[in-house]
Amino acid sequence: MLKGHLDMIVLAALAAAGSAHGYAVIEEIKRRSGGAFDLPEGTIYPALHRLERAGLLSSRWTTADSGRRRRVYTLTKAGNRALAERHAVWRQFSDAIAGLLAGTRPRENPA
Amino acid sequence: MIENYLDVLTRELDFDRSLSRCVRQEVADHLWEAVAADRSGDSFEAERQAVANFGDARAIAAEFAVVSLARHSRRAGIAALLVIVSVFVAMKARVAWYAAMQLAISDDLRAAGSLVITIDRYAFLLSVVIGLGGWIYIQSRRIPTAFDPAYRRQLRRFFLLCGAAAAALAVSVISDAVLTALQLSGTGLSAEFLVPILSMAIELVCVGILISRIRGVALRAASTAALTQT
Repeated sequence: MLKGHLDMIVLAALAAAGSAHGYAVIEEIKRRSGGAFDLPEGTIYPALHRLERAGLLSSRWTTADSGRRRRVYTLTKAGNRALAERHAVWRQFSDAIAGLLAGTRPRENPA
Repeated sequence: MIENYLDVLTRELDFDRSLSRCVRQEVADHLWEAVAADRSGDSFEAERQAVANFGDARAIAAEFAVVSLARHSRRAGIAALLVIVSVFVAMKARVAWYAAMQLAISDDLRAAGSLVITIDRYAFLLSVVIGLGGWIYIQSRRIPTAFDPAYRRQLRRFFLLCGAAAAALAVSVISDAVLTALQLSGTGLSAEFLVPILSMAIELVCVGILISRIRGVALRAASTAALTQT
Protein backbone atom coordinates (compact mmCIF):
# COMPACT_ATOMS: atom_id res chain seq x y z
CA MET A 1 0.00 0.00 0.00
CA LEU A 2 2.80 2.37 0.93
CA LYS A 3 4.50 1.86 -2.43
CA GLY A 4 1.34 3.04 -4.18
CA HIS A 5 1.75 6.39 -2.44
CA LEU A 6 5.52 6.64 -2.75
CA ASP A 7 5.39 9.34 -5.43
CA MET A 8 3.16 11.54 -3.27
CA ILE A 9 5.39 10.95 -0.24
CA VAL A 10 8.52 11.94 -2.18
CA LEU A 11 6.84 15.00 -3.72
CA ALA A 12 5.57 16.11 -0.30
CA ALA A 13 9.00 15.66 1.30
CA LEU A 14 10.64 17.67 -1.46
CA ALA A 15 8.01 20.38 -1.24
CA ALA A 16 8.79 20.68 2.46
CA ALA A 17 12.57 20.45 2.14
CA GLY A 18 12.99 22.62 -0.95
CA SER A 19 15.96 21.45 -3.03
CA ALA A 20 17.36 18.27 -1.51
CA HIS A 21 19.47 15.20 -2.33
CA GLY A 22 18.16 11.67 -1.87
CA TYR A 23 19.50 11.22 1.67
CA ALA A 24 17.91 14.51 2.79
CA VAL A 25 14.60 13.50 1.17
CA ILE A 26 14.64 10.24 3.14
CA GLU A 27 15.49 12.08 6.37
CA GLU A 28 12.65 14.50 5.72
CA ILE A 29 10.21 11.62 5.17
CA LYS A 30 11.35 9.97 8.42
CA ARG A 31 11.13 13.22 10.36
CA ARG A 32 7.73 14.30 9.10
CA SER A 33 6.17 10.83 9.36
CA GLY A 34 7.63 10.14 12.78
CA GLY A 35 9.48 7.15 11.29
CA ALA A 36 6.20 5.46 10.33
CA PHE A 37 7.30 4.50 6.83
CA ASP A 38 9.63 1.55 6.79
CA LEU A 39 10.66 1.35 3.14
CA PRO A 40 14.13 0.29 2.02
CA GLU A 41 15.90 3.63 1.53
CA GLY A 42 17.04 2.58 -1.93
CA THR A 43 13.51 2.57 -3.31
CA ILE A 44 13.41 6.37 -3.06
CA TYR A 45 16.05 6.77 -5.78
CA PRO A 46 14.24 5.00 -8.66
CA ALA A 47 11.17 7.04 -7.63
CA LEU A 48 13.21 10.26 -7.84
CA HIS A 49 14.45 9.25 -11.31
CA ARG A 50 10.94 8.34 -12.44
CA LEU A 51 9.46 11.61 -11.17
CA GLU A 52 12.22 13.56 -12.88
CA ARG A 53 11.55 11.70 -16.13
CA ALA A 54 7.86 12.60 -15.77
CA GLY A 55 8.84 16.28 -15.46
CA LEU A 56 7.70 16.60 -11.85
CA LEU A 57 11.26 17.11 -10.54
CA SER A 58 14.42 18.63 -11.90
CA SER A 59 17.92 17.76 -10.76
CA ARG A 60 21.42 19.13 -10.84
CA TRP A 61 24.79 17.76 -9.76
CA THR A 62 26.71 19.62 -7.08
CA THR A 63 29.75 18.86 -4.96
CA ALA A 64 29.11 18.08 -1.30
CA ASP A 65 31.38 19.32 1.53
CA SER A 66 32.83 15.79 1.58
CA GLY A 67 33.98 16.30 -2.02
CA ARG A 68 31.54 13.67 -3.34
CA ARG A 69 29.30 14.37 -6.32
CA ARG A 70 25.75 14.93 -5.13
CA ARG A 71 22.51 15.01 -7.10
CA VAL A 72 20.06 17.60 -5.82
CA TYR A 73 16.37 17.50 -6.74
CA THR A 74 13.83 20.31 -6.88
CA LEU A 75 10.10 20.22 -7.44
CA THR A 76 9.05 21.73 -10.78
CA LYS A 77 5.83 23.67 -11.38
CA ALA A 78 4.29 20.50 -12.79
CA GLY A 79 5.46 18.68 -9.64
CA ASN A 80 3.76 21.27 -7.43
CA ARG A 81 0.55 20.90 -9.42
CA ALA A 82 0.75 17.09 -9.24
CA LEU A 83 1.29 17.25 -5.47
CA ALA A 84 -1.72 19.56 -5.05
CA GLU A 85 -3.88 17.16 -7.10
CA ARG A 86 -2.74 14.09 -5.14
CA HIS A 87 -3.21 15.97 -1.88
CA ALA A 88 -6.83 16.77 -2.84
CA VAL A 89 -7.52 13.15 -3.84
CA TRP A 90 -5.92 11.87 -0.63
CA ARG A 91 -7.96 14.28 1.53
CA GLN A 92 -11.17 13.19 -0.20
CA PHE A 93 -10.28 9.52 0.36
CA SER A 94 -9.24 10.12 3.95
CA ASP A 95 -12.46 12.08 4.73
CA ALA A 96 -14.54 9.32 3.15
CA ILE A 97 -12.85 6.63 5.26
CA ALA A 98 -13.10 8.79 8.39
CA GLY A 99 -16.83 9.22 7.73
CA LEU A 100 -17.22 5.50 7.25
CA LEU A 101 -15.43 4.66 10.46
CA ALA A 102 -17.04 7.40 12.56
CA GLY A 103 -19.03 5.97 15.44
CA THR A 104 -17.86 2.42 14.82
CA ARG A 105 -15.44 0.34 16.82
CA PRO A 106 -14.08 -3.13 16.10
CA ARG A 107 -15.86 -5.99 17.87
CA GLU A 108 -13.73 -7.64 20.50
CA ASN A 109 -14.58 -11.23 19.50
CA PRO A 110 -15.62 -11.34 15.85
CA ALA A 111 -17.67 -14.44 14.96
CA MET B 1 31.45 -3.32 2.08
CA ILE B 2 29.94 -0.22 0.46
CA GLU B 3 32.17 -0.61 -2.60
CA ASN B 4 31.09 -4.25 -2.95
CA TYR B 5 27.45 -3.21 -2.73
CA LEU B 6 28.00 -0.49 -5.36
CA ASP B 7 29.76 -3.03 -7.61
CA VAL B 8 26.77 -5.39 -7.44
CA LEU B 9 24.28 -2.57 -8.07
CA THR B 10 26.15 -1.12 -11.04
CA ARG B 11 26.88 -4.56 -12.53
CA GLU B 12 23.15 -5.23 -12.64
CA LEU B 13 22.68 -1.97 -14.55
CA ASP B 14 25.51 -2.61 -16.99
CA PHE B 15 23.11 -2.61 -19.94
CA ASP B 16 22.76 1.17 -19.43
CA ARG B 17 26.26 2.52 -18.80
CA SER B 18 25.30 6.16 -18.24
CA LEU B 19 22.56 5.20 -15.76
CA SER B 20 24.95 2.79 -14.06
CA ARG B 21 27.59 5.53 -13.57
CA CYS B 22 25.05 8.05 -12.36
CA VAL B 23 23.41 5.60 -9.93
CA ARG B 24 26.80 4.63 -8.50
CA GLN B 25 27.69 8.25 -7.69
CA GLU B 26 24.28 8.98 -6.23
CA VAL B 27 24.09 5.84 -4.10
CA ALA B 28 27.73 6.20 -2.95
CA ASP B 29 26.91 9.69 -1.71
CA HIS B 30 23.90 8.32 0.19
CA LEU B 31 25.71 5.39 1.78
CA TRP B 32 28.77 7.37 2.87
CA GLU B 33 26.54 10.08 4.31
CA ALA B 34 24.65 7.41 6.24
CA VAL B 35 27.99 6.10 7.59
CA ALA B 36 29.05 9.64 8.56
CA ALA B 37 25.76 10.13 10.43
CA ASP B 38 26.24 6.91 12.42
CA ARG B 39 27.05 7.53 16.09
CA SER B 40 28.13 3.98 17.03
CA GLY B 41 31.81 4.62 16.32
CA ASP B 42 32.09 1.22 14.65
CA SER B 43 32.74 1.96 10.97
CA PHE B 44 32.25 -1.65 9.85
CA GLU B 45 28.88 -1.85 11.60
CA ALA B 46 27.92 1.59 10.23
CA GLU B 47 28.64 0.44 6.67
CA ARG B 48 26.74 -2.81 7.21
CA GLN B 49 23.76 -0.89 8.57
CA ALA B 50 23.81 1.65 5.73
CA VAL B 51 23.81 -1.14 3.13
CA ALA B 52 21.09 -3.09 4.95
CA ASN B 53 18.86 0.01 5.19
CA PHE B 54 19.33 0.72 1.51
CA GLY B 55 17.82 -2.60 0.47
CA ASP B 56 18.62 -5.51 -1.83
CA ALA B 57 20.87 -4.35 -4.68
CA ARG B 58 19.12 -6.47 -7.34
CA ALA B 59 15.67 -5.26 -6.29
CA ILE B 60 16.80 -1.62 -6.41
CA ALA B 61 18.52 -2.24 -9.78
CA ALA B 62 15.29 -3.74 -11.14
CA GLU B 63 13.40 -0.55 -10.22
CA PHE B 64 16.05 1.60 -11.92
CA ALA B 65 15.93 -0.71 -14.95
CA VAL B 66 12.20 -0.06 -15.40
CA VAL B 67 12.79 3.71 -15.43
CA SER B 68 15.63 3.23 -17.93
CA LEU B 69 13.47 1.01 -20.13
CA ALA B 70 10.67 3.59 -20.15
CA ARG B 71 13.16 6.30 -21.12
CA HIS B 72 14.64 4.25 -23.95
CA SER B 73 11.29 3.14 -25.33
CA ARG B 74 10.23 6.81 -25.51
CA ARG B 75 13.47 7.62 -27.28
CA ALA B 76 12.82 4.78 -29.73
CA GLY B 77 9.43 6.36 -30.47
CA ILE B 78 11.11 9.67 -31.25
CA ALA B 79 13.81 7.89 -33.30
CA ALA B 80 11.09 6.21 -35.39
CA LEU B 81 9.64 9.60 -36.29
CA LEU B 82 13.05 11.14 -37.05
CA VAL B 83 13.98 8.18 -39.24
CA ILE B 84 10.72 8.46 -41.20
CA VAL B 85 11.29 12.21 -41.73
CA SER B 86 14.91 11.56 -42.84
CA VAL B 87 13.79 8.92 -45.35
CA PHE B 88 11.19 11.37 -46.69
CA VAL B 89 13.81 14.12 -47.12
CA ALA B 90 16.23 11.73 -48.88
CA MET B 91 13.41 10.53 -51.14
CA LYS B 92 12.37 14.07 -52.07
CA ALA B 93 15.97 15.14 -52.66
CA ARG B 94 16.43 12.24 -55.09
CA VAL B 95 13.23 13.04 -56.99
CA ALA B 96 14.26 16.72 -57.20
CA TRP B 97 17.64 15.60 -58.55
CA TYR B 98 15.99 13.45 -61.23
CA ALA B 99 13.87 16.46 -62.26
CA ALA B 100 16.90 18.74 -62.37
CA MET B 101 18.86 16.19 -64.40
CA GLN B 102 15.79 15.43 -66.54
CA LEU B 103 16.18 11.73 -65.84
CA ALA B 104 13.09 9.58 -66.39
CA ILE B 105 12.26 5.86 -66.42
CA SER B 106 12.47 4.45 -69.95
CA ASP B 107 9.15 3.74 -71.71
CA ASP B 108 9.47 -0.06 -71.59
CA LEU B 109 9.99 0.01 -67.77
CA ARG B 110 7.31 2.61 -67.03
CA ALA B 111 4.51 0.11 -66.24
CA ALA B 112 6.69 -1.72 -63.70
CA GLY B 113 7.82 1.64 -62.35
CA SER B 114 4.29 2.91 -61.69
CA LEU B 115 3.45 -0.30 -59.76
CA VAL B 116 6.55 0.13 -57.60
CA ILE B 117 5.71 3.81 -57.04
CA THR B 118 2.24 2.81 -55.75
CA ILE B 119 3.74 0.24 -53.36
CA ASP B 120 6.33 2.80 -52.25
CA ARG B 121 3.74 5.50 -51.60
CA TYR B 122 1.35 3.34 -49.58
CA ALA B 123 4.13 1.62 -47.63
CA PHE B 124 5.58 5.00 -46.69
CA LEU B 125 2.18 6.41 -45.70
CA LEU B 126 1.57 3.31 -43.61
CA SER B 127 4.93 3.74 -41.86
CA VAL B 128 4.09 7.41 -41.10
CA VAL B 129 0.67 6.55 -39.63
CA ILE B 130 1.91 3.58 -37.58
CA GLY B 131 5.12 5.35 -36.50
CA LEU B 132 3.13 8.36 -35.34
CA GLY B 133 0.70 6.05 -33.57
CA GLY B 134 3.58 4.29 -31.78
CA TRP B 135 5.10 7.58 -30.68
CA ILE B 136 1.79 8.99 -29.40
CA TYR B 137 1.06 5.69 -27.64
CA ILE B 138 4.34 5.50 -25.73
CA GLN B 139 4.46 9.23 -24.92
CA SER B 140 0.95 9.19 -23.50
CA ARG B 141 1.68 6.33 -21.05
CA ARG B 142 2.71 7.02 -17.47
CA ILE B 143 6.22 5.94 -16.50
CA PRO B 144 5.63 2.60 -14.75
CA THR B 145 6.73 1.83 -11.22
CA ALA B 146 7.34 -1.87 -11.90
CA PHE B 147 7.79 -4.37 -14.71
CA ASP B 148 4.29 -5.66 -14.10
CA PRO B 149 1.89 -7.40 -16.53
CA ALA B 150 0.26 -4.05 -17.46
CA TYR B 151 3.64 -2.59 -18.44
CA ARG B 152 4.55 -5.75 -20.34
CA ARG B 153 1.33 -5.42 -22.36
CA GLN B 154 2.12 -1.78 -23.00
CA LEU B 155 5.60 -2.67 -24.26
CA ARG B 156 4.25 -5.47 -26.47
CA ARG B 157 1.85 -3.00 -28.15
CA PHE B 158 4.66 -0.52 -28.62
CA PHE B 159 6.96 -3.17 -30.15
CA LEU B 160 4.15 -4.22 -32.45
CA LEU B 161 3.61 -0.65 -33.65
CA CYS B 162 7.33 0.06 -34.02
CA GLY B 163 7.93 -3.26 -35.77
CA ALA B 164 5.07 -2.63 -38.20
CA ALA B 165 6.32 0.92 -38.89
CA ALA B 166 9.86 -0.40 -39.50
CA ALA B 167 8.57 -3.15 -41.81
CA ALA B 168 6.45 -0.68 -43.83
CA LEU B 169 9.41 1.70 -44.03
CA ALA B 170 11.69 -1.15 -45.17
CA VAL B 171 9.21 -2.00 -47.96
CA SER B 172 9.18 1.67 -48.97
CA VAL B 173 12.98 1.85 -49.01
CA ILE B 174 13.26 -1.40 -51.01
CA SER B 175 10.75 0.08 -53.48
CA ASP B 176 12.90 3.21 -53.66
CA ALA B 177 15.92 1.04 -54.42
CA VAL B 178 14.04 -0.71 -57.23
CA LEU B 179 12.88 2.65 -58.60
CA THR B 180 16.42 4.01 -58.44
CA ALA B 181 17.68 0.96 -60.34
CA LEU B 182 14.93 1.44 -62.97
CA GLN B 183 15.68 5.14 -63.20
CA LEU B 184 19.39 4.67 -63.69
CA SER B 185 19.22 1.60 -65.90
CA GLY B 186 20.43 2.24 -69.40
CA THR B 187 22.30 5.40 -68.44
CA GLY B 188 26.07 5.36 -68.38
CA LEU B 189 28.00 5.42 -65.12
CA SER B 190 28.71 9.04 -64.16
CA ALA B 191 28.93 11.50 -61.31
CA GLU B 192 25.17 12.05 -61.69
CA PHE B 193 24.70 8.70 -59.97
CA LEU B 194 26.22 10.03 -56.80
CA VAL B 195 23.12 11.85 -55.46
CA PRO B 196 20.63 8.97 -55.99
CA ILE B 197 23.07 6.43 -54.57
CA LEU B 198 23.91 8.64 -51.61
CA SER B 199 20.23 9.27 -50.87
CA MET B 200 19.55 5.51 -51.10
CA ALA B 201 22.44 4.86 -48.71
CA ILE B 202 20.91 7.40 -46.26
CA GLU B 203 17.55 5.63 -46.45
CA LEU B 204 19.13 2.23 -45.81
CA VAL B 205 21.12 3.57 -42.85
CA CYS B 206 17.94 5.17 -41.44
CA VAL B 207 16.07 1.85 -41.56
CA GLY B 208 19.10 0.15 -39.97
CA ILE B 209 19.11 2.72 -37.15
CA LEU B 210 15.41 2.18 -36.49
CA ILE B 211 15.76 -1.61 -36.38
CA SER B 212 18.79 -1.31 -34.11
CA ARG B 213 16.86 1.03 -31.76
CA ILE B 214 13.93 -1.37 -31.54
CA ARG B 215 16.32 -4.25 -30.91
CA GLY B 216 18.07 -2.21 -28.20
CA VAL B 217 14.78 -1.62 -26.37
CA ALA B 218 13.90 -5.32 -26.73
CA LEU B 219 17.26 -6.30 -25.17
CA ARG B 220 16.72 -3.85 -22.30
CA ALA B 221 13.25 -5.27 -21.77
CA ALA B 222 14.78 -8.77 -21.58
CA SER B 223 17.42 -7.58 -19.07
CA THR B 224 14.75 -5.87 -16.97
CA ALA B 225 12.58 -9.00 -17.05
CA ALA B 226 15.56 -11.12 -15.94
CA LEU B 227 16.29 -8.72 -13.07
CA THR B 228 12.67 -8.69 -11.97
CA GLN B 229 12.31 -12.46 -12.01
CA THR B 230 15.23 -13.16 -9.70
